[in-house]
Amino acid sequence: MSAKPVAWWGMMMLVAAEATLFGTLIGTYFYLRFSTPHWPPGGIAKPGAVVPIVLALVLVASVFPLRLGTRAGIALALLMQAGYFAYAVHDFADRLHSFTPQTNAYGSIYYVLLGADHAHVAVGLLFDVWLLANWRTIGLRVITVYWIAVAVLTLAVTGTILSARA
Amino acid sequence: MLGGAWIGLLLVALLLAFAWIRRNRRGPSEAASTRIVVALGVALPIAVIATLFFVSDVFIIRTTQAPAATATRLTIRVIGHQWWWEVRYPGTTAVTANEIHIPVRTRVLLQATTADVIHSFWVPELNRKIDTIPGRVNEIELDADGPGVYRGACAEYCGVQHAHMALAVYAQPRAAFRRWLALQERPAKAVRSAGAALFLDGTCSECHAVRGTSASGTEGPDLTHLASRHTIAALTLANTVHDLAAWITRNQQIKPGNRMIDVRLPAPKLRALVAYLRSLR
Amino acid sequence: MTAVGLLERQWTERPGLLGWLTTTDHKRIGLLYFWTTLVLFGAGGTEALLMRTQLAQPNSHVVGPEAYDQLFSLHGITMIFFFIIPMTTGAFGNYLIPLMIGARDMAFPRMNALSFWIFLGSGIFLYASLALGSAPDAGWFDYVPLASRQFSPGRNIDFYCLALIFNGVSSTLAASNFIVTILKLRAPGMSLNRTPLFCFAFLAASFGLLFALPALTADAVFLYLDRRVGTHFFDVAHGGSALLWQHLFWIFGHPEVYILIVPAFGIATSIIPAFTQHRVVAFPLVAIAELLVVFIGFGVWAHHMFATGLPTVTLIFFAAASALVVIPSTIQVFAWCLTILSGTARFRTPLLFIVGFILFFVVGGLTGIMFVAIPFDQQMTDTYFVIAHFHYIIFGAAVFPIFGGMYYWFPKLTGRMYFELPGQISFWIIFAGTNLLFFPMHVVGLDGMPRRVYTYPGGLGWGTYNLIETVGGYITLAGILLLFGNLVVSYVRGERVGRDPWHGPTLEWTIPSPPPEYNFAVIPHVTSAYPNWEPLAGDLVLDEGHQQPITTAADGELAEIAQMPHESPWPVLLGLGLALVFALLVVEKFLVAGIALGLCALVLAAWHR
Repeated sequence: MSAKPVAWWGMMMLVAAEATLFGTLIGTYFYLRFSTPHWPPGGIAKPGAVVPIVLALVLVASVFPLRLGTRAGIALALLMQAGYFAYAVHDFADRLHSFTPQTNAYGSIYYVLLGADHAHVAVGLLFDVWLLANWRTIGLRVITVYWIAVAVLTLAVTGTILSARA
Repeated sequence: MLGGAWIGLLLVALLLAFAWIRRNRRGPSEAASTRIVVALGVALPIAVIATLFFVSDVFIIRTTQAPAATATRLTIRVIGHQWWWEVRYPGTTAVTANEIHIPVRTRVLLQATTADVIHSFWVPELNRKIDTIPGRVNEIELDADGPGVYRGACAEYCGVQHAHMALAVYAQPRAAFRRWLALQERPAKAVRSAGAALFLDGTCSECHAVRGTSASGTEGPDLTHLASRHTIAALTLANTVHDLAAWITRNQQIKPGNRMIDVRLPAPKLRALVAYLRSLR
Repeated sequence: MTAVGLLERQWTERPGLLGWLTTTDHKRIGLLYFWTTLVLFGAGGTEALLMRTQLAQPNSHVVGPEAYDQLFSLHGITMIFFFIIPMTTGAFGNYLIPLMIGARDMAFPRMNALSFWIFLGSGIFLYASLALGSAPDAGWFDYVPLASRQFSPGRNIDFYCLALIFNGVSSTLAASNFIVTILKLRAPGMSLNRTPLFCFAFLAASFGLLFALPALTADAVFLYLDRRVGTHFFDVAHGGSALLWQHLFWIFGHPEVYILIVPAFGIATSIIPAFTQHRVVAFPLVAIAELLVVFIGFGVWAHHMFATGLPTVTLIFFAAASALVVIPSTIQVFAWCLTILSGTARFRTPLLFIVGFILFFVVGGLTGIMFVAIPFDQQMTDTYFVIAHFHYIIFGAAVFPIFGGMYYWFPKLTGRMYFELPGQISFWIIFAGTNLLFFPMHVVGLDGMPRRVYTYPGGLGWGTYNLIETVGGYITLAGILLLFGNLVVSYVRGERVGRDPWHGPTLEWTIPSPPPEYNFAVIPHVTSAYPNWEPLAGDLVLDEGHQQPITTAADGELAEIAQMPHESPWPVLLGLGLALVFALLVVEKFLVAGIALGLCALVLAAWHR
C-alpha cells in the first residue's frame, strides 16, 4: 500500500486522542464499580442486553457501505447511522425516567460514557453530511477511518455498560 | 541518602569541570564514549536505585505502613475539620481538639479521617504524614520513645486557613497519661455564673459542646476541658485570658475565613465569659 | 521570474494586522506564541514574587490568605500550561521544527494557527477570572472535595475546569500537528536516524500530550458536571470517590512534567553539538532515551499519592516504576557531559545555560530519586522539600534551556548577534539567584514547613531561610530583566550576521537569517544527521504553487508533493467562537453555549470547503 496522505495521519491523531478519552471514561467506570459493593447501586435495574447489542451491530454494519466508495454508499451509511442515533437518543432520554446522572455515581458515569459515545456518532453524522456536499476521495477515506473508530469504541462502551449484568 | 546525593552531584560537576579544563583536547572515541554512557547511565543508576529501593521500600516501610490490628495497645481517632483537629479516644468518652496525649513507649494506633475536605495528619518527629480522605479511615502508628511535645501540622492544602491548622502530641509517662485521660472523660462541673449563662444561652453553644451542660454543638471543637489545653485555635494562640478574649472578639482578624464569627461583647461580659472558659479544666 | 521570486510571491502573506490575524506561517505563529507566553511568564513571575514577599517574614500581612491562595494556584497553572508548554512547543517547536527538517511549513498550517488562537483565548479566559476576583484558588492540582461546589461555591473552580479543557484543545491540536510534521514532512533523505534529536524530543513530548491530556479533560469535565449539573463522580455520599480526581489528575500530571522537560532536553541536545563542534555521543541511545522518559512516565502517577493510604503493594509498584525513569535520564546526562568533554567547548552564553541546566537537573534528579524511598516521600511530600525538587527541575532544567535557546537562535530569528558579555552576566546572576531562591527550600522542608501556607509562625527557625529565598527571587528577577534587556538592545543594535554564525549542525543554519517566508529555496536532500557539517545538495525547487514534499515516515523517501493552504480567516474565527462557548459555559448558559458550538461547527465546515 502506498504512503498514507497527511490527512489520514491527522485523522489517526484524532482517533488516538478520542480513544484515550474513552479509555479514561471506561477506566473511571470500572474504578467506581470496584469501589462500590452493589453495582448498579441505589436499586437501579441492571441494563438490558438486547437493545445495546443490536444497536452496536447496526453501527458496525454501517461501516461497510462506506467502503463502496460511492455517494450512494455514504447515503446508505448515513441512513443507518442516523437510524441508530435516533433510536439511541430515544432510549437515552427514556431511561432518564428510571435514573438520572444526578441519582448517584453510577448514573453519572452511565450517562457521561454513553453520552460521549452518542456525541461522537452525532459528529460522524455531520461528517457524512459534509462529505455528501463536498465530495472528495480523501474525505471519504478519512471519514471511513473515523467511523471504524467510532464503531469499535461503541462496542467497547456497550461491553462496559453491559458488564454491570455480571 | 543526602550524602549519596552530594556524591552524585560532585561526580557530574567533576565531569563538567574536566570538560572545561580539557576543552581544547580530543576526547574519548565514539565507542569508548558509548561504553561510558552505558556504564554510568545504566549500570550505576541501577545499582544505586536498587540499594535505595530495598532498604527503604522493603525494610523501612514496615514501620510507616498501618500497624497490624493486634500490635497496638491504644487507639486514637483524629477527624480533620476546616481548620482544626477533633481528637477522640474510642472506648472512652474523652473528646478534645488540636492536642493529642499518648503514653510513652506505647504503640498507638492513630485512625485518621475527615469531616469535610482532604487534610493530612503530620507529626514529623513521630511518623510520616497520612491524608484524611472522606469515606475512608487511614491508619498509622505513633510510638514516642521519650516524653515531650511533638509539633504537627496539616500537610494537605485544605482551604483558606490551612496555614493555621497545627497540632501537638504530648507524650507522657503512663501514669500521667492515665490521669489526663480520666480527666478528659469527666463531664464539666455544673457552674452557675454570668459567664456560664452567656455561653449556654448565647450563640456559643450552637457550635461548641461542653459535656455535662446543655451545650452540644458539633460545628466547632469540644470545649469541656478547654482550660487543660496548652494552646487555642490549632496552636495559633496561647491559652491565656488575653488570647481567649482576642479570639472571641476578633478571630476573623487572627485567622481570616475561619468558621467562627467575631463575637463582640462589652468588657464585663467578655471577662465573665473568659472566666467561665478558664474554669473548664 | 526567478525561482526565488516565484517562491516569494507564493509564500508572502498579506501585510499588516490582517496578515497576522490570518497567518498560517509557522514562523509567525511561533512568534505570536513567543510574545504571548512572555507576557504570561511575567504574570506567573509576578505571582511568585508576591508570594515570596509575603513569606519573607513570619506572620506577614503583605497579602491575605484568599489572595495568596489565588496567587499560588495561578502561579502553578500559568507556569505549566501558559508558559512552559506553549513556549517550548508553541514558540520553539513551531518556529524551528520545519526549519530543522527542511520543510516549508507544518503539516496542518491552519490548524497550527487555530492552536495559537485557542491558546490565546484560554489565557485570556483564565486571567479574566483574576480580573473578576475569582481566580482558581485550590491549587494547580485542585483536589476534591475542596474544589467541589460545597467547599468552593464561587466561580473560581469553574474557571479552572473550563480554562484547562479549553487550553487542552490547543495542546492536543499542536501535538497532532508536530507528530504528523515530524513523521511526514522531513526532507528527502532524512531517515529517522538522521532526524535531529530536537525533533525526537518534540515527538516524545507530543505523544505525551496526545495521550495524557484526555485524562485531565475527563477529570475537569467530571468536576464541572459535579459542580454545576449535580453529578456525583467525586461525591462519596453517592458512590463517588475523592481519590478518583487524584488518579485521573496524576495520570495526566506526571506525563505532563516529562512533557515540560523533554523539549528542554531537545534544546540542550541542539546547543551542545553547536558549541562543541562534536557529534552527540551515543546518538541512538539519546534518541531512544528521550522517547522512553515519556513512555515510562505514564506508569508512575501514583507516586504523587503515597500519603493517601493506598495499599503497600500499590506503593511499591509505583516506586519501582518511578525508579526506572532514572535510567533514560542519566543516559542523557552522561551523553551530554561526554559530548562536551569530547568536543572543543566554547563556553558562550547558550552553552553556559546548558551547563547550568545539567547541574540543576542533576540536583533535582537526585532529590527526585530520594522520593523513590516511600517513607521519605511520606515525610517530604507536601513540604518545601518537594517544592525545591520540582523547581530545580522545572526552573533549572526546563527554563534554563529556554533562556539558552533564546540566545542560541536569536541570530537566526533576527539576523543580528546578541551582546556576549551582558549575556554571560545575565546567566551568572540568574544562576546565583535561582540557587539562592530554591536551595534553602530543601532545608526548610526537611525542617517541617508545609507547602501552600500563606504565612508561618515565628520561633520555628524558618524565617531566615525564607528571607534568603525571597532575596534570591529578586536577584533572579534582576538577571531575567538583564537577559531580556540584552535581547531587546541586541535586536536594535546588534552586529548583523549571516546564515551560520555558530557553524551549527542542523538545517536551519543553511538558510538566511531571518529565514524567508518559504524557508528553503531548494528543498535539501539530506545524507547525514548533521547536514550543515556535510556538503548539502538538493534539486527540488517546487515553485509551482504553495508546495511541500511529503516523505515516508521511517526512511524519508519522497512520496508526494502537497499543496499547502494559504492564509485563512477561519482559524481566528473558530478560536473566537470557541472562546464564546467557554465564556457561556462559565456562566452556565448551556443552551446558548450549545448554539455557539453549532456555529463553530459551521465555521469548521466552511473552513474545509
